[in-house]
Amino acid sequence: MSEMLAKTESIMKKGISLGADEVIAKTTLGRYRQTRFSNNEIDISVAWNDYITNVMLTWKKRVAATQIRNFQNIDATMERLFKLAKVSKENPQYGGIAKGKFKYAKSVADKALWDLEDPSQYVELAINAAIEEAGPETNTGGILFTKFEEVFLASSEGPTAHDTRSAIELSIRAFSTIDASGHGVECSSTLKNFDPSRAGEKAGRIARLARNPKRGEAGKYDVIFDPLFWGSLVGSYAWMSSAFNVMIQMSIFADKIGQKVASEVVTLRDKPAGYSVANRTFDDEGYPVGETTIIDHGVLKTYLHNTSTARLFKTKTTGNAGLVAPRAWNIEMDAGDVGREDMFDDLKRGLYLTNTWYTRFQNYATGDFSTLPRDGIFLVENGEIKQSLKDLRLSDNALKILSNIVQVSKERQHIHWWDADPPSLCPYVLVKDVQMTKPT
Amino acid sequence: MLDKDLIDSTLEYARNKKIEYAEVRAQSQNREGIILKNGILETYSMVVNSGFCVRILTENGLGFASTNKWTKKEAKQIVNTAYKMANNAKRKTKIKFVEEKTVNTSWKVQQKKKIEDIPPEAKINKLMEIDKTLTTQDINIPARMLSCSTALIQKYFVNSEGTTISSFVPLIGMYNFITIVENGKTEQAHKQYGYTGGWEAHDKWKVAADLVREAKALQKLIREGKAVSPGKMDLVCGPEVVGIAAHESCGHPMEADRILGREMSQAGKSFIYEDGPFWIGTKIGSDIVTIIDDPTIKNSYGYYEYDDEGIKARPRYLYKEGIINEFLHNRETAAKMGTKSNGASRANNYDREAIVRMANTFVQPGDMSEDEIFEDVKYGIYMKSFTEWNIDDRRFNQRYVGREAYLIEKGELTTPVARPIIETTTKTFWTAVDAITKKVVFDSGTCGKGDPMQGIPVYLGGPMIRLREVFVK
Repeated sequence: MSEMLAKTESIMKKGISLGADEVIAKTTLGRYRQTRFSNNEIDISVAWNDYITNVMLTWKKRVAATQIRNFQNIDATMERLFKLAKVSKENPQYGGIAKGKFKYAKSVADKALWDLEDPSQYVELAINAAIEEAGPETNTGGILFTKFEEVFLASSEGPTAHDTRSAIELSIRAFSTIDASGHGVECSSTLKNFDPSRAGEKAGRIARLARNPKRGEAGKYDVIFDPLFWGSLVGSYAWMSSAFNVMIQMSIFADKIGQKVASEVVTLRDKPAGYSVANRTFDDEGYPVGETTIIDHGVLKTYLHNTSTARLFKTKTTGNAGLVAPRAWNIEMDAGDVGREDMFDDLKRGLYLTNTWYTRFQNYATGDFSTLPRDGIFLVENGEIKQSLKDLRLSDNALKILSNIVQVSKERQHIHWWDADPPSLCPYVLVKDVQMTKPT
Repeated sequence: MLDKDLIDSTLEYARNKKIEYAEVRAQSQNREGIILKNGILETYSMVVNSGFCVRILTENGLGFASTNKWTKKEAKQIVNTAYKMANNAKRKTKIKFVEEKTVNTSWKVQQKKKIEDIPPEAKINKLMEIDKTLTTQDINIPARMLSCSTALIQKYFVNSEGTTISSFVPLIGMYNFITIVENGKTEQAHKQYGYTGGWEAHDKWKVAADLVREAKALQKLIREGKAVSPGKMDLVCGPEVVGIAAHESCGHPMEADRILGREMSQAGKSFIYEDGPFWIGTKIGSDIVTIIDDPTIKNSYGYYEYDDEGIKARPRYLYKEGIINEFLHNRETAAKMGTKSNGASRANNYDREAIVRMANTFVQPGDMSEDEIFEDVKYGIYMKSFTEWNIDDRRFNQRYVGREAYLIEKGELTTPVARPIIETTTKTFWTAVDAITKKVVFDSGTCGKGDPMQGIPVYLGGPMIRLREVFVK
């Protein structure tokens, strides 16, 4: 057993010795690097080193949690935490944590990302690719982020686990003119599969096509969503799949298990697979993660659960335990059978939306919402981009959008950036009759 | 307690390198959080989150590194890392920090009822009482989430120019989300409270009464609410709507880092940019519109005396009498624009770079009473509060959807109106303002910016304002 796992286990055992019923301790040694750039130059390079142990402790169905960042006085912290649980109130809905010993998949973390001291060369590759696409006057900005984590978990209920997790992400936005921009992302768990030029090229290409935008007209359009845009919406659907959010009605999926919530071409899964920037082998209870089908050919199959919420919903945990509530790790939308080019060819008149931000709901239970398309917004006629547009807002309903998906592309992209979380593997999707509005 | 000797020695170590500037910022946050879900205590959490960071400017660029290991070895390591990263940037255009006065001071916010003296049971019971009040009304509120957070924040800031600042800020906040069901229909509301000070915040807030009032209004809305007939009409906005509009369409676009493009790939740019149609001195609203961002409002959620670069806080008049007047600056943006910092640099923790942020943004009060503002409206909408809202990443195309709203007919509030929408531009919104009431009311919020996201406490507020002849749908 490694020294860090032993230390983690000793924290867990301290909790038990104080009288706690259940204790989970999870230690993360994290090394994070970020390079931020704008106006084609590096603004700042940032490094975080984190040494953290998260502890969750229960006593007679009372739940208390802490995060230890100062390891000088662990015993006192644990005593305080146990006292907190004792004076807390019983949670009659609390259903325990994962019990038993489990086998875990092999970690796929890339040690090269630990060793990567100066990632500025990748920023330069992305900037140059964008400039090559959109011209010498192109102005770019973005971030390059790397992560390398070692995670040690010890649970009083059996699980003992160790994982290494790595990621490298680039997000680049290119402006060919003041009102013409494009955005590209490149995400990978390993350095060898990381191609920053690809993101730069995409950002530059869209920025070039987006020149001379005209004000768009409100109305209903058939819309092709780029994987980047779709990743943001998938993030909202993923968030509303958590059993916790269902219980507080912050979800369109409440009381809809077994019901059709999307068109038949929609299958959504949670799968923190090896390629994903959210790669992991176990959840925060030490339960092995796997593949959970949330929506299967349009039918809602399950919410995302930890052991406690699963018991309440009379089902099994899906391995999505976060520190307090269940959460999605990495959402995959199944690929369809239409090529991207064919999808565009099938669009007689509609929009191609490349990115969005600021998605907000009027009512999470009904799903009424709006979101602001940004970067390239294009009018498409007979499969061709006819005009760059601006100043349009998507103002519709989240359930209706899911139900109106008519095509899903074969091609998919791994998406994660500032406005699209959790990470996802997203195709292009064609949605009919999407309501667009504009300012007056 | 923060190990100030270690911080001082870390700065000394950084000074010995070929730097143009260095700072070390230590921060300890003693946080607690309680979540009550549908009347059940979900979890009680406590965290002591402490660490320190170093930011170094060299002739090649800026580097930042942080750690939560309080050792000399680690301190040297993060200085070395920040120094190396700064030099790796190899910038063609040199970063400069504008020259500012050095300061040696300490400041703290007093608590009348110390958060640390309130037993956990009392904190839990406070939320339980609020939930009980809600569930004993004749209203169906099947989903309720009440959360309370407290933080005791100590900071110690030193820089290579000689500034030394110690501070202590207690923060308390609440966030509530409720769902009302009536006749098979739902309405939802969320509200945040924030206060810099002690547990006495709960004596000032009337959370249970506010939630009951909100629930009753939404129940009435479901029962009696009518759709608005779209068209041009007068719109009276309540302080909650005024506050979010001031924050989104004045505060954010006036952040100088955004104007200079430093946030372009995340939170975006601004409709204000050099050689563009809007700049300092350009008309953006009617003459009576003045919007201020003021960190010095006592006990406000965004209160501070010195920012995270050691600059003394002061009110910033962003839009003044309808004119774009003053951007929000840190030392880097001020140097680029040939001005001085106005103390807007904030970080939400030791492991985050301080960036340009708002504090408490509000519309300056006018001279009208609340009755007078409705008096000569023949037909219009009173949007008291909002639900969905958003704005584009240039901060120009915005939308606010009413949560609690009423029809105004011949100067009187008549029937509730279901989700009226104003979707317009920043200039149209502020230019349409023709009347402002006397009393400013603040709401609290957590402003999001930065990557990784740095949620930062702010006030958003204003009096009531009247917009003439705007399109409402």
